[in-house]
Amino acid sequence: MKNLINFLIQYSVVFLFLFLEIISFTLIVKNQDYQKSVFLSSSNSMVSGMYEWSNSVVEFFKLRAANNNLSEENTALKNQIINLQNKLSTLKPEVSDSIHFRIPPEMEYQFISAKVINSSTNKLLNYITLNKGAIDGIKIDMGVISDEGVVGIVKTVSKRFSVVIPLLNPKIEISCKFKRSNYSGGLLWSGQDYRYANLTDIARHVQLTLGDTLITSGLTSTFPEGIPAGTIEDFKIKESDAYYQIKVKLAVNFRTLSHVKVINYLNYQEQKELEKKSEE
Amino acid sequence: MPTVLQNIFRFLLLVLFQVLVLNNIQFLGYINPYLYLLFILALPVQMPRWFLLILAFILGLSIDIFSNTIGMHAFATVFVAFFRDRIIKLFTNIEEGNNPTPSFYTFGVSAYVKYVVLMVLIHHTTLFLLEAFSIAHIWIMLAKILLSSLVTILLILGIQSLKTK
Repeated sequence: MKNLINFLIQYSVVFLFLFLEIISFTLIVKNQDYQKSVFLSSSNSMVSGMYEWSNSVVEFFKLRAANNNLSEENTALKNQIINLQNKLSTLKPEVSDSIHFRIPPEMEYQFISAKVINSSTNKLLNYITLNKGAIDGIKIDMGVISDEGVVGIVKTVSKRFSVVIPLLNPKIEISCKFKRSNYSGGLLWSGQDYRYANLTDIARHVQLTLGDTLITSGLTSTFPEGIPAGTIEDFKIKESDAYYQIKVKLAVNFRTLSHVKVINYLNYQEQKELEKKSEE
Repeated sequence: MPTVLQNIFRFLLLVLFQVLVLNNIQFLGYINPYLYLLFILALPVQMPRWFLLILAFILGLSIDIFSNTIGMHAFATVFVAFFRDRIIKLFTNIEEGNNPTPSFYTFGVSAYVKYVVLMVLIHHTTLFLLEAFSIAHIWIMLAKILLSSLVTILLILGIQSLKTK
């Protein structure tokens, strides 16, 4: 009898083990459907609060660099204003109707600035948490950029926080093109180094040189055209291949990322609805 | 300090240290030590196995919540906790009734080192396999497993050797 009880006790541990492992595994698999896990992820307010606190400490030490960046950006913007004013003043006499002055609809963007409060660069699947959420106007699928270039795409949003899938995650591929030749391909992370990604779908007849600049293609509604994504670091092609293997140095340094802008494309709904209608 | 309090304190300290400091370390792109495993390693030997498993699950899930990897650390930690008793029996012969805390003094240096190495390797291998979920990058993954395990093992042995009795 005692043996039997001992036997059962021994097995109960195995059952518990299996039970806990099944729970864990279910969580992992469910996590593929990332939206469902927002409750347990770092959008969770307590966890986010703690990260925000720890980040505020780290940020203090980065203030100098951030200030430098800001002032540089300021100057660039001021220069742009002056340039634009000059252009405007030369154009003024010719324009009589306001129709010509309309901004092209695909260029109507607003930026929501946000701060990175948690990010990883050393995993195979990396994520970034921002301190802005639904009440600040952030929605799923919005593009995220920094002053340096493309960062990623918003994947989940809670009331006050949002989680971004950065370029450093094989789950997203961002459509990019060469500034020089307009050939476009998909930018996909290789899973190894946070500084580099691979560019796919560039056929062998395209002329490449090291250092060519890659910008977003504007062919998706997430990013406007012309945001820097990276530069060509290295490329090779085998005799038998039709496509290049291109190594791209990313424009953004994900290790020091702290301030980002979320792109709010104002005509997103209209464009999506129209495209959907024509597909039906 | 009573063992229970000591362990609660160790739990909190290790989780905070893991998520606030170690998860930000990225040396050469391969090394990400998971020191929190020390909590499981340092629990008393005669701890009931069901309780050990539940503690392992809670520990893993806490790390998961902070690092956006729901389930992975929980799976790996429960997995390694399940084999802890067998591994201890493999390397040492603790008498019935004795309930030491694993360390250099109670296990002996060679047995303790073997115990730590095997446990860390099992844990890291499970974890990195789960993270990759494929064998596409097998060499990178092997390098990650070995280098990260090495650093974790050195950290754990270093911390343990600072203990006086």
